[in-house]
Amino acid sequence: MSETAVGELDLPRGTLVRSRVGVAGALEAALSRDLTGYARIEPDSLLADGDPGVLTFADGVPVAAYCERGAKGDSRGVDALAALAVPGPCTVELYELPAGSLDRVHEQPSFTVPPGAPAEELADDATLAERTRERAPEEATDRGGASALESFLEDEERIAAIQEEARAEAEKRAAEWGLDGELGE
Amino acid sequence: MVEALAVASGKGGVGKTTSTLALGMALADEYDVTVVDADTGMANLCFHTGLADANTTLQDLLLDDADATVEDAVYERFGLSLVPCGTSLSAFREADPTLLREVVAELAADTDVLLLDSAAALGSQSAVLPLVLADRTVVVLQPTIPSLSDGLKVQEYARSYGTETAGVLFNRVRDDEAIDRVAEQAERYFGGPTLATIPESDAARAARRAGEPLLAHAPDSDAAAAYRRAAGRLEIQDGDEGAVADRFRSAVIPESP
Ligand SMILES: Nc1ncnc2c1ncn2[C@@H]1O[C@H](COP(=O)(O)OP(=O)(O)OP(=O)(O)O)[C@@H](O)[C@H]1O
Ligand SMILES: [Mg+2]
Repeated sequence: MSETAVGELDLPRGTLVRSRVGVAGALEAALSRDLTGYARIEPDSLLADGDPGVLTFADGVPVAAYCERGAKGDSRGVDALAALAVPGPCTVELYELPAGSLDRVHEQPSFTVPPGAPAEELADDATLAERTRERAPEEATDRGGASALESFLEDEERIAAIQEEARAEAEKRAAEWGLDGELGE
Repeated sequence: MVEALAVASGKGGVGKTTSTLALGMALADEYDVTVVDADTGMANLCFHTGLADANTTLQDLLLDDADATVEDAVYERFGLSLVPCGTSLSAFREADPTLLREVVAELAADTDVLLLDSAAALGSQSAVLPLVLADRTVVVLQPTIPSLSDGLKVQEYARSYGTETAGVLFNRVRDDEAIDRVAEQAERYFGGPTLATIPESDAARAARRAGEPLLAHAPDSDAAAAYRRAAGRLEIQDGDEGAVADRFRSAVIPESP
Protein backbone atom coordinates (compact mmCIF):
# COMPACT_ATOMS: atom_id res chain seq x y z
CA MET A 1 0.00 0.00 0.00
CA SER A 2 1.43 3.41 -0.95
CA GLU A 3 1.31 6.37 1.38
CA THR A 4 -0.67 9.49 0.74
CA ALA A 5 0.85 12.27 2.80
CA VAL A 6 -1.60 14.99 3.66
CA GLY A 7 0.65 17.45 5.39
CA GLU A 8 1.98 15.70 8.45
CA LEU A 9 -0.84 13.23 8.62
CA ASP A 10 0.52 10.21 6.77
CA LEU A 11 -2.29 8.01 5.58
CA PRO A 12 -2.13 4.78 3.61
CA ARG A 13 -3.93 5.22 0.28
CA GLY A 14 -7.44 3.89 0.57
CA THR A 15 -10.11 2.63 -1.78
CA LEU A 16 -12.45 5.30 -3.08
CA VAL A 17 -16.00 4.53 -1.93
CA ARG A 18 -17.75 7.86 -2.57
CA SER A 19 -16.82 10.85 -4.66
CA ARG A 20 -18.27 14.29 -5.17
CA VAL A 21 -20.45 14.19 -2.08
CA GLY A 22 -20.98 17.03 0.40
CA VAL A 23 -19.63 16.83 3.94
CA ALA A 24 -22.97 15.72 5.37
CA GLY A 25 -23.23 12.96 2.76
CA ALA A 26 -19.71 11.76 3.52
CA LEU A 27 -20.23 11.76 7.30
CA GLU A 28 -23.54 9.97 6.87
CA ALA A 29 -21.98 7.35 4.56
CA ALA A 30 -19.03 6.81 6.89
CA LEU A 31 -21.33 6.27 9.85
CA SER A 32 -23.72 3.93 8.07
CA ARG A 33 -20.95 1.68 6.71
CA ASP A 34 -18.80 1.75 9.87
CA LEU A 35 -16.05 3.12 7.75
CA THR A 36 -12.44 3.07 8.75
CA GLY A 37 -10.69 5.43 6.40
CA TYR A 38 -10.68 9.09 5.58
CA ALA A 39 -12.43 11.88 3.73
CA ARG A 40 -10.61 14.42 1.58
CA ILE A 41 -12.47 17.69 1.90
CA GLU A 42 -12.10 20.44 -0.66
CA PRO A 43 -14.05 23.62 0.03
CA ASP A 44 -15.51 25.08 -3.17
CA SER A 45 -15.47 28.56 -1.68
CA LEU A 46 -12.89 31.06 -2.86
CA LEU A 47 -12.58 32.34 0.67
CA ALA A 48 -10.85 29.11 1.64
CA ASP A 49 -8.50 29.32 -1.35
CA GLY A 50 -9.53 25.74 -2.05
CA ASP A 51 -7.07 24.34 0.45
CA PRO A 52 -8.01 20.77 1.18
CA GLY A 53 -8.22 18.97 4.45
CA VAL A 54 -8.64 15.44 5.63
CA LEU A 55 -10.79 13.83 8.26
CA THR A 56 -10.18 10.27 9.42
CA PHE A 57 -12.68 7.74 10.74
CA ALA A 58 -12.57 4.66 12.91
CA ASP A 59 -15.64 2.44 12.71
CA GLY A 60 -17.70 5.23 11.21
CA VAL A 61 -16.80 7.85 13.80
CA PRO A 62 -14.53 10.84 13.04
CA VAL A 63 -11.22 10.77 14.91
CA ALA A 64 -8.59 13.11 13.45
CA ALA A 65 -8.47 16.20 11.25
CA TYR A 66 -5.83 18.09 9.35
CA CYS A 67 -6.09 21.10 7.04
CA GLU A 68 -3.46 22.64 4.83
CA ARG A 69 -4.77 26.04 5.84
CA GLY A 70 -5.26 27.64 9.20
CA ALA A 71 -4.71 30.80 11.21
CA LYS A 72 -1.06 29.80 11.65
CA GLY A 73 -0.28 28.04 8.39
CA ASP A 74 -1.55 24.47 8.47
CA SER A 75 -3.78 23.21 11.25
CA ARG A 76 -4.66 20.12 13.23
CA GLY A 77 -7.51 18.76 15.30
CA VAL A 78 -10.21 21.29 16.20
CA ASP A 79 -8.15 24.06 14.56
CA ALA A 80 -8.36 22.13 11.32
CA LEU A 81 -12.14 21.83 11.72
CA ALA A 82 -12.37 25.57 12.24
CA ALA A 83 -10.32 26.15 9.09
CA LEU A 84 -12.55 23.78 7.12
CA ALA A 85 -15.80 25.25 8.47
CA VAL A 86 -16.20 27.75 5.67
CA PRO A 87 -19.60 28.76 4.38
CA GLY A 88 -20.69 27.15 1.15
CA PRO A 89 -20.38 23.66 -0.24
CA CYS A 90 -17.38 21.35 -0.19
CA THR A 91 -16.45 18.51 -2.48
CA VAL A 92 -15.62 15.37 -0.57
CA GLU A 93 -14.12 12.02 -1.51
CA LEU A 94 -14.43 9.16 0.92
CA TYR A 95 -11.80 6.40 1.11
CA GLU A 96 -11.89 3.09 2.92
CA LEU A 97 -8.99 1.34 4.64
CA PRO A 98 -8.61 -2.05 6.29
CA ALA A 99 -9.70 -2.03 9.94
CA GLY A 100 -6.90 -1.08 12.29
CA SER A 101 -4.71 0.51 9.63
CA LEU A 102 -5.14 3.97 11.13
CA ASP A 103 -4.38 2.96 14.71
CA ARG A 104 -0.94 4.54 14.59
CA VAL A 105 -2.26 7.78 13.08
CA HIS A 106 -5.00 7.92 15.66
CA GLU A 107 -2.49 7.79 18.50
CA GLN A 108 -1.43 11.38 17.81
CA PRO A 109 -3.55 13.45 20.19
CA SER A 110 -2.87 16.78 18.50
CA PHE A 111 -4.98 15.67 15.53
CA THR A 112 -8.01 14.32 17.35
CA VAL A 113 -11.43 15.96 17.32
CA PRO A 114 -14.61 15.38 19.36
CA PRO A 115 -16.71 12.77 17.50
CA GLY A 116 -19.74 15.02 16.94
CA ALA A 117 -17.79 18.14 16.00
CA PRO A 118 -17.40 17.53 12.24
CA ALA A 119 -21.18 17.07 11.84
CA GLU A 120 -21.86 20.20 13.86
CA GLU A 121 -19.20 22.48 12.43
CA LEU A 122 -18.81 21.25 8.85
CA ALA A 123 -22.27 19.88 8.07
CA ASP A 124 -24.30 22.03 10.48
CA ASP A 125 -26.30 18.94 11.40
CA ALA A 126 -27.05 18.57 15.13
CA THR A 127 -28.99 15.33 14.70
CA LEU A 128 -26.18 13.64 12.83
CA ALA A 129 -23.78 14.89 15.51
CA GLU A 130 -25.92 13.32 18.21
CA ARG A 131 -26.12 10.00 16.36
CA THR A 132 -22.35 10.06 15.90
CA ARG A 133 -21.73 10.73 19.59
CA GLU A 134 -23.95 7.79 20.48
CA ARG A 135 -21.78 5.52 18.35
CA ALA A 136 -18.45 6.83 19.59
CA PRO A 137 -16.37 4.93 22.13
CA GLU A 138 -16.76 6.42 25.60
CA GLU A 139 -13.24 7.77 25.93
CA ALA A 140 -13.73 9.76 22.71
CA THR A 141 -16.85 11.64 23.80
CA ASP A 142 -15.31 13.27 26.82
CA ARG A 143 -12.28 14.52 24.98
CA GLY A 144 -12.08 17.94 26.61
CA GLY A 145 -9.95 20.89 25.67
CA ALA A 146 -10.57 23.85 23.43
CA SER A 147 -13.22 23.53 20.76
CA ALA A 148 -13.29 24.32 17.06
CA LEU A 149 -15.54 27.25 17.95
CA GLU A 150 -12.89 28.72 20.24
CA SER A 151 -10.34 28.36 17.49
CA PHE A 152 -12.72 30.17 15.15
CA LEU A 153 -13.28 33.00 17.63
CA GLU A 154 -9.54 33.49 18.03
CA ASP A 155 -9.19 34.21 14.33
CA GLU A 156 -9.88 37.95 14.40
CA GLU A 157 -8.98 38.45 10.77
CA ARG A 158 -11.44 35.87 9.64
CA ILE A 159 -14.22 37.36 11.73
CA ALA A 160 -13.44 40.83 10.44
CA ALA A 161 -13.70 39.40 6.91
CA ILE A 162 -17.13 37.90 7.67
CA GLN A 163 -18.32 41.21 9.07
CA GLU A 164 -17.00 43.22 6.16
CA GLU A 165 -18.57 40.91 3.63
CA ALA A 166 -21.91 41.02 5.46
CA ARG A 167 -21.85 44.83 5.61
CA ALA A 168 -21.17 45.11 1.88
CA GLU A 169 -23.89 42.57 1.14
CA ALA A 170 -26.38 44.34 3.41
CA GLU A 171 -25.77 47.65 1.70
CA LYS A 172 -26.02 46.19 -1.78
CA ARG A 173 -29.27 44.44 -0.92
CA ALA A 174 -30.69 47.52 0.80
CA ALA A 175 -30.33 49.33 -2.49
CA GLU A 176 -32.03 46.46 -4.34
CA TRP A 177 -34.92 46.47 -1.89
CA GLY A 178 -35.19 50.24 -1.85
CA LEU A 179 -34.27 50.21 1.84
CA ASP A 180 -31.17 52.35 1.38
CA GLY A 181 -33.06 55.29 2.89
CA GLU A 182 -33.06 53.32 6.15
CA LEU A 183 -29.34 52.72 6.28
CA GLY A 184 -27.55 54.21 9.29
CA GLU A 185 -24.45 56.34 8.98
CA MET B 1 -42.35 53.71 27.21
CA VAL B 2 -41.65 51.17 24.54
CA GLU B 3 -38.69 49.33 23.13
CA ALA B 4 -38.89 47.10 20.07
CA LEU B 5 -36.48 44.18 20.06
CA ALA B 6 -35.95 41.87 17.10
CA VAL B 7 -35.03 38.32 18.11
CA ALA B 8 -32.82 37.14 15.28
CA SER B 9 -30.35 34.41 14.42
CA GLY B 10 -29.44 34.15 10.76
CA LYS B 11 -29.71 30.38 10.92
CA GLY B 12 -32.95 28.45 11.29
CA GLY B 13 -33.98 26.24 14.16
CA VAL B 14 -31.64 27.67 16.80
CA GLY B 15 -34.50 28.52 19.14
CA LYS B 16 -35.63 32.03 18.19
CA THR B 17 -39.31 31.40 18.81
CA THR B 18 -38.64 29.47 22.01
CA SER B 19 -36.41 32.32 23.19
CA THR B 20 -38.76 35.10 22.13
CA LEU B 21 -41.62 33.63 24.13
CA ALA B 22 -39.43 32.77 27.12
CA LEU B 23 -37.91 36.24 27.28
CA GLY B 24 -41.36 37.71 26.79
CA MET B 25 -42.86 35.77 29.68
CA ALA B 26 -39.95 36.58 31.95
CA LEU B 27 -40.16 40.28 31.06
CA ALA B 28 -43.93 40.24 31.56
CA ASP B 29 -43.41 40.18 35.35
CA GLU B 30 -42.33 43.78 35.06
CA TYR B 31 -43.54 45.02 31.69
CA ASP B 32 -46.44 44.96 29.32
CA VAL B 33 -45.11 42.65 26.60
CA THR B 34 -46.32 42.15 23.03
CA VAL B 35 -44.85 39.37 20.89
CA VAL B 36 -45.22 39.51 17.11
CA ASP B 37 -44.45 36.63 14.76
CA ALA B 38 -42.52 38.74 12.27
CA ASP B 39 -41.09 35.60 10.64
CA THR B 40 -43.86 35.92 8.06
CA GLY B 41 -42.34 33.49 5.56
CA MET B 42 -41.88 30.63 8.05
CA ALA B 43 -44.30 31.56 10.78
CA ASN B 44 -44.34 29.16 13.72
CA LEU B 45 -45.14 31.15 16.84
CA CYS B 46 -48.69 29.80 16.59
CA PHE B 47 -47.41 26.24 17.10
CA HIS B 48 -45.60 27.26 20.27
CA THR B 49 -48.69 28.92 21.74
CA GLY B 50 -51.67 26.76 20.78
CA LEU B 51 -52.80 29.40 18.29
CA ALA B 52 -52.58 27.28 15.14
CA ASP B 53 -56.31 27.77 14.59
CA ALA B 54 -56.35 31.50 15.29
CA ASN B 55 -58.97 33.22 13.18
CA THR B 56 -57.24 36.45 12.40
CA THR B 57 -53.45 36.74 12.24
CA LEU B 58 -50.74 39.11 11.07
CA GLN B 59 -51.15 37.61 7.60
CA ASP B 60 -54.60 39.15 7.39
CA LEU B 61 -53.19 42.53 8.37
CA LEU B 62 -50.56 42.47 5.62
CA LEU B 63 -53.07 42.22 2.79
CA ASP B 64 -53.62 45.39 0.80
CA ASP B 65 -57.38 45.08 1.13
CA ALA B 66 -57.21 44.06 4.80
CA ASP B 67 -60.51 44.48 6.56
CA ALA B 68 -59.24 43.11 9.87
CA THR B 69 -58.04 45.50 12.56
CA VAL B 70 -54.77 45.06 14.45
CA GLU B 71 -56.80 44.36 17.57
CA ASP B 72 -58.41 41.34 15.88
CA ALA B 73 -54.99 39.69 15.58
CA VAL B 74 -53.93 40.19 19.20
CA TYR B 75 -54.45 37.25 21.58
CA GLU B 76 -53.99 37.54 25.33
CA ARG B 77 -52.23 34.32 26.37
CA PHE B 78 -49.66 33.39 29.02
CA GLY B 79 -49.58 36.96 30.29
CA LEU B 80 -48.52 38.21 26.85
CA SER B 81 -50.21 39.96 23.98
CA LEU B 82 -49.52 37.62 21.09
CA VAL B 83 -49.76 38.44 17.40
CA PRO B 84 -49.37 35.14 15.55
CA CYS B 85 -48.87 34.89 11.81
CA GLY B 86 -50.72 32.43 9.60
CA THR B 87 -48.86 29.89 7.51
CA SER B 88 -50.75 30.08 4.24
CA LEU B 89 -48.32 30.23 1.35
CA SER B 90 -50.70 32.07 -0.95
CA ALA B 91 -51.43 34.68 1.70
CA PHE B 92 -47.68 35.12 2.18
CA ARG B 93 -47.24 35.71 -1.53
CA GLU B 94 -50.04 38.26 -1.61
CA ALA B 95 -48.84 40.02 1.52
CA ASP B 96 -47.33 43.47 1.35
CA PRO B 97 -44.49 43.15 3.87
CA THR B 98 -44.19 46.90 4.21
CA LEU B 99 -47.56 47.00 5.96
CA LEU B 100 -45.74 45.44 8.94
CA ARG B 101 -44.46 48.93 9.69
CA GLU B 102 -47.99 50.23 10.27
CA VAL B 103 -48.93 47.21 12.41
CA VAL B 104 -45.83 47.57 14.55
CA ALA B 105 -46.44 51.31 14.92
CA GLU B 106 -49.93 50.67 16.19
CA LEU B 107 -48.83 47.94 18.61
CA ALA B 108 -45.98 50.11 19.90
CA ALA B 109 -48.40 52.75 21.02
CA ASP B 110 -49.83 50.43 23.62
CA THR B 111 -47.09 48.27 25.14
CA ASP B 112 -43.78 48.46 27.02
CA VAL B 113 -41.77 45.83 25.20
CA LEU B 114 -42.37 44.69 21.65
CA LEU B 115 -40.61 41.46 20.71
CA LEU B 116 -40.34 40.65 17.00
CA ASP B 117 -39.67 36.96 16.34
CA SER B 118 -37.64 37.37 13.17
CA ALA B 119 -36.83 35.30 10.10
CA ALA B 120 -33.83 33.01 9.89
CA ALA B 121 -33.15 34.23 6.38
CA LEU B 122 -31.68 37.50 5.16
CA GLY B 123 -32.55 37.10 1.52
CA SER B 124 -35.69 39.18 1.21
CA GLN B 125 -37.16 42.50 2.16
CA SER B 126 -39.75 40.88 4.41
CA ALA B 127 -37.05 38.95 6.29
CA VAL B 128 -34.92 42.02 6.91
CA LEU B 129 -37.73 44.41 7.83
CA PRO B 130 -37.90 43.44 11.54
CA LEU B 131 -34.19 44.30 11.83
CA VAL B 132 -34.89 47.67 10.21
CA LEU B 133 -37.85 48.47 12.45
CA ALA B 134 -36.46 47.31 15.80
CA ASP B 135 -34.59 49.51 18.25
CA ARG B 136 -32.17 46.70 19.07
CA THR B 137 -31.68 42.98 18.43
CA VAL B 138 -31.26 39.93 20.62
CA VAL B 139 -29.13 37.44 18.72
CA VAL B 140 -29.82 33.76 19.41
CA LEU B 141 -26.87 31.46 18.81
CA GLN B 142 -25.99 27.83 19.14
CA PRO B 143 -22.40 27.18 20.12
CA THR B 144 -21.23 26.13 16.65
CA ILE B 145 -19.19 27.86 13.96
CA PRO B 146 -22.03 27.97 11.39
CA SER B 147 -24.36 29.55 13.94
CA LEU B 148 -21.82 32.13 15.11
CA SER B 149 -20.97 33.02 11.51
CA ASP B 150 -24.64 33.59 10.74
CA GLY B 151 -25.14 35.51 13.98
CA LEU B 152 -22.28 37.84 13.10
CA LYS B 153 -23.84 38.34 9.71
CA VAL B 154 -27.27 39.20 11.13
CA GLN B 155 -25.66 41.63 13.54
CA GLU B 156 -23.95 43.37 10.65
CA TYR B 157 -27.17 43.56 8.63
CA ALA B 158 -28.99 45.06 11.62
CA ARG B 159 -26.17 47.51 12.26
CA SER B 160 -26.39 48.68 8.67
CA TYR B 161 -29.85 49.94 9.57
CA GLY B 162 -28.66 51.49 12.81
CA THR B 163 -29.99 48.62 14.96
CA GLU B 164 -27.43 47.58 17.60
CA THR B 165 -27.21 44.30 19.51
CA ALA B 166 -28.83 44.33 22.97
CA GLY B 167 -27.41 40.96 23.90
CA VAL B 168 -26.66 37.41 22.86
CA LEU B 169 -28.23 34.14 23.97
CA PHE B 170 -26.41 30.84 23.61
CA ASN B 171 -29.03 28.14 23.26
CA ARG B 172 -28.87 24.34 23.36
CA VAL B 173 -25.62 24.35 25.27
CA ARG B 174 -24.27 20.92 26.13
CA ASP B 175 -20.76 21.65 27.32
CA ASP B 176 -20.92 23.91 30.38
CA GLU B 177 -17.20 24.28 30.77
CA ALA B 178 -16.34 25.38 27.26
CA ILE B 179 -19.28 27.74 26.93
CA ASP B 180 -17.94 30.22 29.46
CA ARG B 181 -14.76 30.62 27.44
CA VAL B 182 -16.77 30.83 24.21
CA ALA B 183 -19.17 33.42 25.65
CA GLU B 184 -16.29 35.54 26.84
CA GLN B 185 -14.58 35.38 23.46
CA ALA B 186 -17.83 36.09 21.63
CA GLU B 187 -18.47 39.24 23.63
CA ARG B 188 -15.54 40.85 21.83
CA TYR B 189 -17.46 40.63 18.56
CA PHE B 190 -21.05 41.23 19.59
CA GLY B 191 -22.44 44.60 20.54
CA GLY B 192 -24.14 43.35 23.69
CA PRO B 193 -23.36 41.00 26.56
CA THR B 194 -24.10 37.29 26.74
CA LEU B 195 -27.49 37.42 28.46
CA ALA B 196 -27.46 33.74 29.40
CA THR B 197 -26.52 30.29 28.22
CA ILE B 198 -29.56 28.03 27.87
CA PRO B 199 -28.92 24.32 28.33
CA GLU B 200 -30.01 21.66 25.86
CA SER B 201 -33.32 20.82 27.45
CA ASP B 202 -35.93 18.09 27.15
CA ALA B 203 -38.38 20.56 28.68
CA ALA B 204 -37.95 22.92 25.69
CA ARG B 205 -38.77 20.12 23.26
CA ALA B 206 -41.72 18.95 25.35
CA ALA B 207 -43.07 22.50 25.54
CA ARG B 208 -43.00 22.81 21.76
CA ARG B 209 -44.82 19.48 21.42
CA ALA B 210 -47.43 20.63 23.94
CA GLY B 211 -47.91 23.90 22.07
CA GLU B 212 -46.96 25.96 25.11
CA PRO B 213 -44.16 28.41 25.82
CA LEU B 214 -41.36 26.90 27.91
CA LEU B 215 -42.04 29.15 30.90
CA ALA B 216 -45.67 28.03 30.99
CA HIS B 217 -44.96 24.35 30.36
CA ALA B 218 -41.92 23.88 32.60
CA PRO B 219 -41.38 27.00 34.72
CA ASP B 220 -39.10 25.11 37.11
CA SER B 221 -36.76 23.76 34.43
CA ASP B 222 -33.12 24.84 34.25
CA ALA B 223 -33.76 26.32 30.82
CA ALA B 224 -36.64 28.45 32.15
CA ALA B 225 -34.42 29.71 34.97
CA ALA B 226 -31.73 30.62 32.46
CA TYR B 227 -34.22 32.62 30.39
CA ARG B 228 -35.31 34.50 33.51
CA ARG B 229 -31.68 35.39 34.16
CA ALA B 230 -31.39 36.57 30.57
CA ALA B 231 -34.43 38.81 30.91
CA GLY B 232 -32.98 40.24 34.11
CA ARG B 233 -29.81 41.23 32.31
CA LEU B 234 -31.64 42.80 29.41
CA GLU B 235 -31.84 46.48 30.18
CA ILE B 236 -35.00 47.66 28.50
CA GLN B 237 -34.62 51.18 27.24
CA ASP B 238 -37.30 53.81 27.53
CA GLY B 239 -38.54 55.01 24.22
CA ASP B 240 -41.27 57.56 23.89
CA GLU B 241 -44.13 55.58 22.37
CA GLY B 242 -45.24 58.45 20.19
CA ALA B 243 -41.76 58.93 18.78
CA VAL B 244 -41.28 55.21 18.23
CA ALA B 245 -44.62 54.86 16.47
CA ASP B 246 -43.75 57.83 14.29
CA ARG B 247 -40.41 56.32 13.45
CA PHE B 248 -42.05 53.11 12.30
CA ARG B 249 -44.62 54.98 10.27
CA SER B 250 -42.17 57.33 8.66
CA ALA B 251 -39.71 54.59 7.75
CA VAL B 252 -39.14 55.26 4.08
CA ILE B 253 -40.21 51.89 2.87
CA PRO B 254 -41.13 51.61 -0.78
CA GLU B 255 -43.73 49.46 -2.43
CA SER B 256 -42.67 45.82 -2.47
CA PRO B 257 -41.32 44.78 -5.88
N1 LIG C 1 -32.71 24.71 24.78
C1 LIG C 1 -33.30 23.80 23.98
N2 LIG C 1 -33.12 22.48 24.21
C2 LIG C 1 -33.69 21.57 23.39
N3 LIG C 1 -34.47 21.85 22.37
C3 LIG C 1 -34.69 23.15 22.09
C4 LIG C 1 -34.13 24.19 22.87
N4 LIG C 1 -34.53 25.37 22.35
C5 LIG C 1 -35.31 25.08 21.30
N5 LIG C 1 -35.42 23.74 21.14
C6 LIG C 1 -36.19 23.01 20.13
O1 LIG C 1 -35.64 23.26 18.86
C7 LIG C 1 -36.65 23.36 17.89
C8 LIG C 1 -36.53 24.72 17.19
O2 LIG C 1 -36.81 25.73 18.13
P1 LIG C 1 -37.54 27.07 17.69
O3 LIG C 1 -38.78 26.76 16.94
O4 LIG C 1 -37.66 27.92 18.89
O5 LIG C 1 -36.41 27.64 16.74
P2 LIG C 1 -36.50 28.82 15.68
O6 LIG C 1 -35.16 29.43 15.65
O7 LIG C 1 -37.64 29.71 15.98
O8 LIG C 1 -36.77 28.01 14.37
P3 LIG C 1 -37.21 28.59 12.94
O9 LIG C 1 -35.97 29.16 12.34
O10 LIG C 1 -37.70 27.38 12.23
O11 LIG C 1 -38.27 29.62 13.20
C9 LIG C 1 -37.97 23.18 18.63
O12 LIG C 1 -38.40 21.87 18.49
C10 LIG C 1 -37.63 23.50 20.06
O13 LIG C 1 -38.44 22.81 20.97
MG1 LIG D 1 -39.27 30.33 14.80
